[in-house]
Amino acid sequence: MSLRSDGRQWGSVAKFFHWIVALGILGNGVWGLLMADMAPSMNKITIFALHKSIGLTILALFALRLAWRLYDRAPPDVPMPRWQGIAAHTTHVLLYGFILAIPLSGWIFNSLHGYPLQWFKLFNLPALAAKNDELSEVAGEVHEWLFYLLLLVLVAHAGAALKHHFFDRDNVLRRMLPFARIRQSKTSSGEFQ
Amino acid sequence: MTTRTASLAFVLALAAPCIANAADYTVQTGSTLGFTSNFQGSSFDGRFNKWTAAISYDAAKLASSKFDVTVDLSTAKTGDNDRDSALPGPDFFNTTKYPQAHFVTTAFHQQGSQVIADGMLTLRGVTKPVSLNVVFKPQGNGATLDVTGTVKRLDFGVGGGQYADTSVIGPDVKVTAHLLLAAK
Repeated sequence: MSLRSDGRQWGSVAKFFHWIVALGILGNGVWGLLMADMAPSMNKITIFALHKSIGLTILALFALRLAWRLYDRAPPDVPMPRWQGIAAHTTHVLLYGFILAIPLSGWIFNSLHGYPLQWFKLFNLPALAAKNDELSEVAGEVHEWLFYLLLLVLVAHAGAALKHHFFDRDNVLRRMLPFARIRQSKTSSGEFQ
Repeated sequence: MTTRTASLAFVLALAAPCIANAADYTVQTGSTLGFTSNFQGSSFDGRFNKWTAAISYDAAKLASSKFDVTVDLSTAKTGDNDRDSALPGPDFFNTTKYPQAHFVTTAFHQQGSQVIADGMLTLRGVTKPVSLNVVFKPQGNGATLDVTGTVKRLDFGVGGGQYADTSVIGPDVKVTAHLLLAAK
């Protein structure tokens, strides 16, 4: 498996970004929902600090991922009905939007609340907005709802991948799986390009 | 008046300047008592809204100068609701048990041109020595008095226990007071 994507499947760099961001944003989202109602304690401070550090990491990974996506050439679409192709690409754009908006809204929420923002106790990042208690509550809600919306789009994204894998028996899922072998079947047209 | 009483009065009159106290001042509104600490790599400022100070000071009579300050700890404000509701709690000032902090000078000394007030700070049931830098500027009938010093919060158990991690909450609290004084 090469670093770059080829005509048949995604390269290992694209796969790494895909799965690490997926794991990070889902884990950090559930973590965030669970921590929100904790009573004040040092544990709460530590858990929030980790949530913020992981969120910033996802934001940085997203920037790298986007840069890589622009440099790397995505494998051509697996043959499928046109509406499915459009739906798939729309879903991808939405997911990219959420991956960018969720950490950013958290950063803005944190700024409006007047909290410091530290990355794993190593360095501090500036506030994106001045302290404002009322707006801070709104930003907190937005931050949380963006995650719910992401889950909704994710159901479509993952559902479609599973549908392609189990019903259409094509390579849509396999070409993004870390260790899967590509099916040499009727549906993979890309490999002959 | 007997001769004896008269001569005693005379001796006392002569001695008076030598044992005279430093001038007493009252603290005027507009005076501030603040502190600066550090949370997650970022400093924050706070202030006490209620405190009293008895100030006797004369740069030429340091031996008889004295600061006596009492701080109402429940009036600490740092501009953040979470922090301000945590500060009076048992983990930090524990104001239910120790409502006030008290600082009283024990001696003043000069270090170069800097006057330093040595004193004892009682905070959260612990009494320990704390020194403050003193800048006193006579002004008309009164004076301005600026003091700064550093208090190690863990010496007094402020934010001990679960909050003792100084990589999250800094160990040093810088105390800054700006007093507007009027002669008594």
